[in-house]
Amino acid sequence: MNPLPFRQFVSIREPGTLRVGRGLACIVSATILLTAPVKVVAADKPKAEVITFKDHVKPILRQYCLKCHGNDEQNADLNLQTYATLLKGGSGGAVVKPGRLEASVLFQAITATDDAARMPPKSPPLPAKHIQLIRRWIETGLRETRVSKSLAPAATITFNPSGNAAMKPTGPPAMPAGLPVIKRAPNSRRLPVLAMAASPWAPLLAVSAYQHVRLFDITTRKEIGSLPFPEGIPQVLRFSRNGGVLLVAGGKPVQVGSVVLFDVRTGKRLAQLGDELDAVMSADISPDQRLVGLGGSGRTVKVYSTADGVLKYKLTRHTDWITALAFSPDGKQFASGDRAGGLHLWNTSNGGLLFSLSSHRASIRTISWRSDNKVLASGSEDGRLIWWNTKTGFTSISNSNPHPPQRPSGVFGKLPNGVLGARFGTDGNLLTCGRDGHARFWDVSGRQLRTFKVATAIPIQVAISHDGNTLVAGDSTGQVHFWARMPPAKQ
Amino acid sequence: MVRKSILLLLLATAQGVAADGPSFRRDVMPILFRAGCNQGTCHGSSRGKDGFSLSLFGYDPKGDYFRLTREIIGRRVNVAAPRESLLLLKATGAVPHTGGSRFSRDSAYYKTLLEWIGQGAPDDVGAVPEPVEITLSPTNLLFKGQAKPVQTTVTARYSDGTKRDVTSLALFYSNNPDTAGIDKNGLVQPVGQGDSYVFARFSRFTIGSEVIVLPEAAGYKWSNPPVHNYIDKLVHDRLQKLKLLPSALADDDTFVRRVYLDLTGAPPSSEQYRRFVNAPRAEKRARLIDELLQSPEFTDLSTGLWAESVRLMGGGYTPTATDLKAAEAYYQWIRKQIQQNRPFDEFVYDQITASGSNLRDGPTNLYTMLVHDVRFKPKAFASDFSQLFLGIQIQCAECHNHPFDRWTMDDYYGFVSFFTGITRKPGAEPREFYIFNNRSAAPSRHKVDGRPMIATVLGGERPATANLDSRVALARWLTSPQNDLFARNIANRTWARFFHRGLVEPVDDLRISNPPTNGPLLGELATRFVKYDFDQRALIRDICNSRTYQLASQPNATNKLDDRQFSRARLRRLRADVLLDSIIKVTEWDRPFRNFPKGTKAIQFYPRTPGDTSQPLWFDDFLKTFGRSSRNSICSCETRGEPTLSQTLHMIVGKNISNAINAGLVTRLLQRGDGPSALIEELFIRCLSRKPTAEELAAMLKLVAEDVKEKAPYEDILWSLLNSTEFSFNH
Repeated sequence: MNPLPFRQFVSIREPGTLRVGRGLACIVSATILLTAPVKVVAADKPKAEVITFKDHVKPILRQYCLKCHGNDEQNADLNLQTYATLLKGGSGGAVVKPGRLEASVLFQAITATDDAARMPPKSPPLPAKHIQLIRRWIETGLRETRVSKSLAPAATITFNPSGNAAMKPTGPPAMPAGLPVIKRAPNSRRLPVLAMAASPWAPLLAVSAYQHVRLFDITTRKEIGSLPFPEGIPQVLRFSRNGGVLLVAGGKPVQVGSVVLFDVRTGKRLAQLGDELDAVMSADISPDQRLVGLGGSGRTVKVYSTADGVLKYKLTRHTDWITALAFSPDGKQFASGDRAGGLHLWNTSNGGLLFSLSSHRASIRTISWRSDNKVLASGSEDGRLIWWNTKTGFTSISNSNPHPPQRPSGVFGKLPNGVLGARFGTDGNLLTCGRDGHARFWDVSGRQLRTFKVATAIPIQVAISHDGNTLVAGDSTGQVHFWARMPPAKQ
Repeated sequence: MVRKSILLLLLATAQGVAADGPSFRRDVMPILFRAGCNQGTCHGSSRGKDGFSLSLFGYDPKGDYFRLTREIIGRRVNVAAPRESLLLLKATGAVPHTGGSRFSRDSAYYKTLLEWIGQGAPDDVGAVPEPVEITLSPTNLLFKGQAKPVQTTVTARYSDGTKRDVTSLALFYSNNPDTAGIDKNGLVQPVGQGDSYVFARFSRFTIGSEVIVLPEAAGYKWSNPPVHNYIDKLVHDRLQKLKLLPSALADDDTFVRRVYLDLTGAPPSSEQYRRFVNAPRAEKRARLIDELLQSPEFTDLSTGLWAESVRLMGGGYTPTATDLKAAEAYYQWIRKQIQQNRPFDEFVYDQITASGSNLRDGPTNLYTMLVHDVRFKPKAFASDFSQLFLGIQIQCAECHNHPFDRWTMDDYYGFVSFFTGITRKPGAEPREFYIFNNRSAAPSRHKVDGRPMIATVLGGERPATANLDSRVALARWLTSPQNDLFARNIANRTWARFFHRGLVEPVDDLRISNPPTNGPLLGELATRFVKYDFDQRALIRDICNSRTYQLASQPNATNKLDDRQFSRARLRRLRADVLLDSIIKVTEWDRPFRNFPKGTKAIQFYPRTPGDTSQPLWFDDFLKTFGRSSRNSICSCETRGEPTLSQTLHMIVGKNISNAINAGLVTRLLQRGDGPSALIEELFIRCLSRKPTAEELAAMLKLVAEDVKEKAPYEDILWSLLNSTEFSFNH
């Protein structure tokens, strides 16, 4: 980075005079400064001490780091002696990023578990209290002094649900009529609820079953019909934005996979897309219904035109199975996640990469767009649930253990705590489920509103009814659980 | 209606394993093992294969259950349509599978897996009986001539006392397929003459049966050689079984050279040679052995060997705590113990329980030298410790149960916990560290489930420490007469010192799947060692007095190919330091050693560096060239004996040989004025411990005939003798 804008940037950090710089400084720090109002991140409790470079971090650096990274010697061109040179970073670029521990090389270096990789070299790790101070300093936005403002971006973004109304269909919302209920073979077990979706406009719920899709009326909680899917196992179910089309994707593992579009009212097949060598694991239909994106074990995102079935483009950036794919509500972007934790944001029109949202360390299991396009939620087997700011590519809220499993006595080590399903309601609240056997309901600021226990099995999929009043989870034994949403707690 | 069926279904799942249905641990896991799914080259690899990972050979059933049924729900196991489970499709090769077809759709394996999935792929509820032992029958197989193959049977005994025939679930292999082969169903087929072991593996157990394949009996007659002691009896038992005859007894010349090299690290001087050869016949070999066992040279040799095996080196980089002064303190302590003939159990006990300053308390340096590092590393130390003191390599069990031995991850982490408290505290000066055991240190944690593992001895049922310092408990267990592992290891290493081959080879890899070539002999040696109160000299006395040790190296018609049963002496290149000391002794050369005072012998020499000791170090080109241990690891393979081109060049034109020859021996011998014949004889005796033959003498005399005072021809003769394989080998 050019040191000049940084100097300017630092020089304006006077008490109470936070101003947006001009020219280069503005560009460099735009992502940091433009997201006003700045709100303190969760880790910073109201009365907690303000962690600053001058008072807390400098003494630690002096004790452990300055011998090799100071004014006298700058290994890797890194000088940690002053605030300005610290922000400037070393030969590998910046070493701290406000609010982003995963992207802060300095933090990664002192907490590396590999002896060879950890700083300071050939020494035991820093004491936990020192690491904790540095962690909080980065999380709270790299303050230089007590009076400096935090450089961390806002933790939450204001929510405006108006963007949703545009897709309201004219006339009555689509509900199926006269579809037969397919009975499963005697003595067979139910397929786990591998996929589930609620219509955005009607009290209609689609649930995957072996070689068919079960349709429920959410109001009566009764099964009202089925769509046959002889292609195999439905792995993905998505309603179009107007609720008129149901996308069913899946197939037979390591044999065949495709995407089928159904007319919700009549159950008629509208189109079949893709001819994959494995079951399709992730797919979505664009809001304008012109495009279908799909992915699977082939590690390639394919985007087809629904009009003629022609492959529009392929994206080969993912390094592992594509486990999640979703178009933004306005259709301008879409996101795709993979089994290695990779999560990318693409421009729908040309397949250009917008952001790589790199924070997850294990398989992405679910992604969901908030109806105003501004936020994408992702849940992963690494146990984390992240609300991403899709304008900046940064984390807005990161919950590192939203589904903490109960530890039976005498059991040690890491317990599976993956987040398996996540869906935004139209009001911006988020419903998730995870390996802890619970579904949890979160408000726009990431605060937990309600918890629902699924006693007997692992909840895999969640859905929120069109009116937001019914919360649904499907579990690994094929059972569907309905809960009434309580009115939000009074503030 | 729907609800009711869901409820029923849930009940079925919640109940878990039906009374007679397949159990995941008891029935499914062994199939994954037998079919090879969880082997190291397939899904058992640490990173799995093609996105699917299993624990290697099934050490983690809980994790495997999760990965099969829960990791990607509905894919690998599909309870709604069991036949479409990827597990079955892949295993039968119905869909593309890198590992191909592992079993067919009509095999019992398939039926069991299908039944299990059909029941909802339940996890086991409560404790499932575990295998506690397996047996392979028959335990001995003898094939004569063109014999028919024999079917073996594997039986597992479970913790609830039940037994089960698991032949169809076991894996088989032979450690010598040229002698006897075994197919995947356990059918043993003789191939060629010799002895071999066939092994069966099931669960975490390996077990072997001995197979002997003999040719059609054709005129073999036991020669009935004399027996010196129990060693010969047990060796002869074995030889008779394998239809081998031992070679003849070695002559006195060969014996005196062999025993001097093996007990003092150099050939006899001409006086020592003459005194032995001219001594009265009765018991003279036994008397010589006794005499040499008390010699300071024996102490030097034993000290040098132990110092090498504990990686003793002196450094100048203070953080590793292996300062010169520490190394010298340790060296002198070792030498003193060996000189006083301290019983080996006490010798080892003192090192294990040592506390104090590395500079002053020599034995504490076991904790600085065995693993050279700026930090004490409990895991690395534990595996080196067991490799040295027990001959057992447990490091596999850091990440998975030992695939070919009985050691589990529980054993490993329990053992590591003995050392998690070892602390190095900086002392009064930078070179000094105080070494002690912090008894309140946290134990190690199990890799799979993070359980804290209380210090437990290998194979121990319960934690070792009650109120003891954990190291005291460890040392007591290790050196206890009941601990077969320790006595067998030291007995095997002692044997290997005199035969250049252990009864188990390599000497630091004792395991079930690497059985001794003569089990009763190793057992008896260990028993005697314990009975002698761990007196190593007493054990060596038995070995050197045995006829087996004193056999000639010339083979007979039956034992030409024998390399394992000690039916004749093995030809072996001298160790690098013994070779150098032999050159020094023969030529009376005062060779300097780097950073050591004058008069130092190669066997007393260890690397003394001003730098870091955590790297391969020789500090002497001759020793490096001739394969002395670099002391970079604990492995016995660090000492090498194979010939190289640079060794040959070193002997032909190297500085060491020319300096040794120029050290003045020939001049001094010429001054004696004994005449050419006597001088040539002197050189032969010095180098080869024998007089020249008549032809050799005649040929040599021709070379020196022209000028009896000229020293060059004698130096050429000395050079030739030093360059002969007869010199550089113990034969």
